[in-house]
Amino acid sequence: MPTRTVVVGSASGLHARPAALFVAAAAKQPVPVTIRTGEKKAVPARSMLSVLSLGAKKGTEVTLEADGDGAQDAVDTLAALLERDLDAEDG
Amino acid sequence: MADLLTSDAIRLQERAGSRDEAIRRCGEVLVSVGAVSEDYVDAMLAREQSVSTYIGEGVAIPHGTLNSKENVRRDALAVLRFPDGVDWDGNDVRVCVAIAAAGDGHIDILASLAEVLMDPDQAQRLRTATDPADVLELLETS
Repeated sequence: MPTRTVVVGSASGLHARPAALFVAAAAKQPVPVTIRTGEKKAVPARSMLSVLSLGAKKGTEVTLEADGDGAQDAVDTLAALLERDLDAEDG
Repeated sequence: MADLLTSDAIRLQERAGSRDEAIRRCGEVLVSVGAVSEDYVDAMLAREQSVSTYIGEGVAIPHGTLNSKENVRRDALAVLRFPDGVDWDGNDVRVCVAIAAAGDGHIDILASLAEVLMDPDQAQRLRTATDPADVLELLETS
């Protein structure tokens, strides 16, 4: 099952704007993707509340996982998004 | 966590005719508890234009843009309850958790908030709270 572990790159962590953008991107993927921190339970990446409940800060390692057709692309796309500083693109 | 949210920043009988009016009220409370300067309120409105801070279960988390951190005097939260609801881009918002943050200490309390909202009973308790002590208890248990 495609899995990627990345470090959150957004200055304000995975909440607020970065979380909103991440959740929206996850909802667009053809397969459900889960996200987890450490050994905690994996939660749906397309659920804002679930993503907020992770409490992921800048520098926190998170693991994405998906299964099915297009899973690798979905995981890669979302991993790349997480690694970027989405706050810096605030304008 | 206790110093981030204090009972004087919890207002449970608010009323607002629009999303922006609700955000202004949130900003005013953050100003009144000495957490932010008045410029922060405009930054909160700007942020909302850019991406909605509605997170689900009748709750929004208005906050300023990253550039407005210079207007934050201390990290703090405010909880405003709108018993009549506020039309938030088509969502019915009952509770705003307004955030003033220069650091990332508020992320843990937001995680607690999210966990509360994922539990239907606790979410209902938060939306109908009439005592600041209940709000403090809900957000500090997880």
